[in-house]
Amino acid sequence: MKPIEKKHIRLRTILIGFIFSIFLSVIGARAFYLQVFCSSWLSRKAANQYEKSLIFHGKRGTIYDTNHREMALSIDVISIVAYPPNIKDPAAISRSLNKTLEIDVNSLNQRLTSDRSFVWVKRKVTPKEVKDVKALDLKGIDFIAEHERFYPNKTLAAQVLGFSGIDEHGLEGIEYYYDTYLKGSTCRFTVLKDAFKRGFDTEKNVMPDCSGNNLILTIDYNIQYLAERALEEASVKFNAKSGMAIVMSPKTGAILAVAHYPFFNPNSFGEFDRNLWRNRSITDSFEPGSTMKIFSACAAIEFGGCSSNTIFFCENGKYKIGKNIVNDTHPHGWLSLQHIIKFSSNIGTVKISERIGPEHIYKTFSSFGFGEKTGIDCPGETSGGLSHYNTWAKIDAGAIAFGQGVAVSALQLITAASAIANDGILMAPYIVQAITDQNGRLIKSSSPRIVRRVVSLDTARIVKKIMASVTTEGGTGVNAALEGYAVCGKTGTAQKIDKKGTYSDEKYTASFLGFIPADDPEITVLVVIDEPRGKHYGSIVAAPAFKRIAHETANYMNIPLTVDNSFGRLVDMRIHENGARG
Amino acid sequence: MFDRRLVQNFDWILLSLALMLGFLGLVTLYSSVTAGTQVPQMEYYKQLAWYFVGLIFLVISFLFNYKIFDKWGHIIYILCISLLVGVLIFGEGSKGAMRWLKFGFFSIQPSELVKIAVIIIMARYYSKHANTTGLTLRELINPFLLTMIPFILIVKQPDLGTAIMIVLIAGSMTVFVKIERRSFLYLIVSGVLSIPLIWFFLREYQKARILTFLDPDRDPLGTGYHIIQSKIAIGSGMISGKGFLKGTQNALSFLPEQHTDFIFSVLAEEWGLIGSVIILIVFLILILKGLNVGYRCREPFGTILSVGITAMIFWQVFINIGMVMGLLPVVGVTLPFVSYGGSSLITVMISIGILINVSMRRFMVE
Repeated sequence: MKPIEKKHIRLRTILIGFIFSIFLSVIGARAFYLQVFCSSWLSRKAANQYEKSLIFHGKRGTIYDTNHREMALSIDVISIVAYPPNIKDPAAISRSLNKTLEIDVNSLNQRLTSDRSFVWVKRKVTPKEVKDVKALDLKGIDFIAEHERFYPNKTLAAQVLGFSGIDEHGLEGIEYYYDTYLKGSTCRFTVLKDAFKRGFDTEKNVMPDCSGNNLILTIDYNIQYLAERALEEASVKFNAKSGMAIVMSPKTGAILAVAHYPFFNPNSFGEFDRNLWRNRSITDSFEPGSTMKIFSACAAIEFGGCSSNTIFFCENGKYKIGKNIVNDTHPHGWLSLQHIIKFSSNIGTVKISERIGPEHIYKTFSSFGFGEKTGIDCPGETSGGLSHYNTWAKIDAGAIAFGQGVAVSALQLITAASAIANDGILMAPYIVQAITDQNGRLIKSSSPRIVRRVVSLDTARIVKKIMASVTTEGGTGVNAALEGYAVCGKTGTAQKIDKKGTYSDEKYTASFLGFIPADDPEITVLVVIDEPRGKHYGSIVAAPAFKRIAHETANYMNIPLTVDNSFGRLVDMRIHENGARG
Repeated sequence: MFDRRLVQNFDWILLSLALMLGFLGLVTLYSSVTAGTQVPQMEYYKQLAWYFVGLIFLVISFLFNYKIFDKWGHIIYILCISLLVGVLIFGEGSKGAMRWLKFGFFSIQPSELVKIAVIIIMARYYSKHANTTGLTLRELINPFLLTMIPFILIVKQPDLGTAIMIVLIAGSMTVFVKIERRSFLYLIVSGVLSIPLIWFFLREYQKARILTFLDPDRDPLGTGYHIIQSKIAIGSGMISGKGFLKGTQNALSFLPEQHTDFIFSVLAEEWGLIGSVIILIVFLILILKGLNVGYRCREPFGTILSVGITAMIFWQVFINIGMVMGLLPVVGVTLPFVSYGGSSLITVMISIGILINVSMRRFMVE
C-alpha cells in the first residue's frame, strides 16, 4: 500500500475531468440536435399546440345605386358561441339558455359537453336575446360579430340585385355575378391557446379588415322606383302574367332601371317562387313582334336604297306567301316606308324584306346584336334566337322582319333601339359603373363601350323620324305621346306560341319600345307586358306605361323640353300620304 | 490568528461563477413563474430570499477551516441520517412522496443535505485508505455501507433521483481514488447482474418512467407528456430563442414542473441554443474549476472532498439536463442554482462555500 502521490492525483483528476467533460459535451450535442436539427419540426409541433386558427369572414361589400343610395348592405349581427372547456356546469347553462334563447336543451347540452374548443349556441340572434344572455353573465359563453345581408329597399330592383345566402355568398343577380368582388375575404388569424385549450386575447386581436368591395350601379333608385310603379300599374290593370321595363341611357349603354313584375323580396327570398328571382329581361327571350320593324326599316334604308317615302303595296290586308297568309290589323293599299312603321303593317314589312332579301335582314339584325349576348355584367344572359338566313323558309324572311320567328331578350331589344337613338352606334349595356374598396377608393370603373356602328348616321336619323311619327296622330303609338317631348317609339303585339305549338289567339306579348327626346335622345325605355288579359295591343297595354316612365324619368332627369314640338309633324308633312289608315 | 494569505488566496473565480449561475437561475426562474401571468409570482420572491440565505451559508462554509469536516464528519453524517429517519417518521410531502421536515415556518429536505454529509464521510474515509494501487473489495465495504444507508432511506421516501445522486457521487469519488483492477471487474459484473433485481424493486411509476424514456410515445398524454412537452419547448427555442418572457410553451402552461425539475426547458426555449450552450459552458468551467481546487489542494481529504462536491454538481447538471432533453429517464433531480427550491439552493451554496474553503486554505498544509 503506497500513499497517494501528487502524480497519481494529477492522473485521477485528469481522468475524472475528462469523463465529466465528455458527458457534458453529450448534453451540448443533444442541445444542438434538438435546437438546430429538430428545431423546425419541434417548432411546428409547438405551434400546433398553442395556435388556434380562427376564421373571420370579412363583411360583404355594399351595393349602391348611381347616387350612392344603399341597395344591398351587410349589417352586423351577433351570434352566441360557447367555449366548452371553460364551462363548468353545462347542464345548468343549457337550461338557462333554453329559456332565454328557446333552443333545445339536449342538443345544446350535447354541444356544451363536447371536447371541441368552440361551438355555436345560436346564430344571428336579436339584440334582445343578446341583452338577456349577457344579463345571465355565464362563463364560457361569448358573443361574436357576424354579418347578415339586408336589402333596405325590399322588392326594389330585386331581380337585378339578386341576393346572397346565409353564409353571404351571392346566389343570384349582381350579388352572384360580382361575388368575387363583393365578398369579404376569409381572414385566418391565430390566437394563442394554453394547455387547457383556453383561448387568449381574442379581444385584443385587431380584426384584420377584410371587407369586400362595394359596387356602384348605373341603376338609379328613383328611376327604378317609378319604372316599377308604372309597370305594376300596367300589369295589374291588364291582369298580366308578368311584365318588364327597362330604362337605358342610349348614349352610354348604362342601365338606369330594370323592373320586373311580379316583385319579390330578397330579404326573404325563400318565400317566393324561384321563377321570380331571375333577371328575366336578360335571361329570358321572347318573340318581340312589331318592335322589330324598326330594324327592318333600317335594313331597307341601308341596303334597299329606300327612303321613308319609298312606297310598298300592302295588298289590302291579306298577303299570301306559299300556304301562309300574312294579315294586317287594318287593310292598307300603298304605304310609304314611314307609314308601314307608323301603322305597323306586317304586309308592308314583308314587302320590305322581299325587296332587300333575307341576307340583309339577317345581317342587319345580327349587327344590332340579336342572336348574340350583349355581354352585360349580369349572370345567365341569353343570346336569344336568330337562326341563320340559310335556314329560313320563304315565309320566315318576312315573318322575322316583323318580329315573328325570332327571339330576343328585352335587353337586346332596348340595346338595339338605343343604337338607333345613338345615331347608329351600338353601345354595350352595363349595370355596374364602379367598384370601390371598403374605404371608398376606386378599384375599377366601367366606361361606356362602343360595340360597332350598325347603321349610318343618315339611316339612324331617318328611322328616328319614322319612329317619331309613330306617336303622332294616326300612329299606333299615340298613347305614348308626351307633352313637351317628341317621342320616338314603336309598338309590339306578338302572339305567343301556345302549348299546341301554334300561335295563340289569347296569349300575347304587348310591348312598347322608344326613346326621348326624339332629336337628342337621353333615355330609351322598353315596356314588355306578358299575357295581358282583356286588351293585348302594345299600343293600349304597354304604351301608357312607357309614357308614364318616360315622362317621369324626363322630369326627374330634367331633360329639356323640346322647344318646337313639331319634329314628328314636320316629317309627316313632307311625306305623301299614300294610303289611308283604315 | 487571521492569516492574510486567506484573503490573498480567496477564490474570486469560484464566487463569481456561483454568482453568475445564481443570476442566470433567478432570471430563468422569474420567467418560468411570471410568463403567462404578467405578474411575478410568490415563488420568485421566495427564491430571491433563499439566495440571500444561501449566500450567508456560502460565507459560513468558507469562514472556518474545512478540516473540521474531517474531524466532525461522522457526527454530521449521523445527524443527517437521523433527519432522514425523521422524514420517514414525521415527514411531509406532496404527490405521494415524503421529503420534507417542517421546522416552524420553513421546511427542509434532508435528502439534499445528506449529499454533503455523504461526501464528507467518504472523503474522510478515502483520505485515510486511498493508495496508488487502488482500493480492494474489503476496503470498499465501509464506503458501500455508508452509501447504502442514506440510499435506502431516501429510496423509501421515495426520492429515486436523490438516491441515485448519492450513489453516483460516492461512485465518482471511489473511481477517483481508484479501485484495484480485479475488484473493479467484480463490481462491474455484479452490477450488471443486479440490474434485473433493481427492476424488481422499482415502483410502478418508476418503471413507467423508464419505459417511457425508452419509448416516449408509449403514453404521450401520461408519463410521456413531460418529456415530449419539454423537447418541444427546447426545440422550438431554436438557435436564438424566443426571447425573455416570450416562451410560448412556458407561458401557455404546456411545460410541466416548469420552475422546478424542468426549468432548463424554459431557459432553452427563451434563450435558444445560445442560452443552453452558455449555461453548459459556465457549468463546465465551474466543474473543471472544482476539480482544479481538488488537484491544487495538497492533502487528500481536501482533494477528495473537492472532487466529491464537484461530482455532485456535475451529476445534478448532467442528470437534470439529460432528463429534460430526453436523454435520461425522468427522475427528480434539480438543476443547481436554477431550479426553484430552498434546500437544493442552500446545498449547492454550501458546496461552493466548501470549495472556496478548500481553495483558500491550500497554503496551510505543510
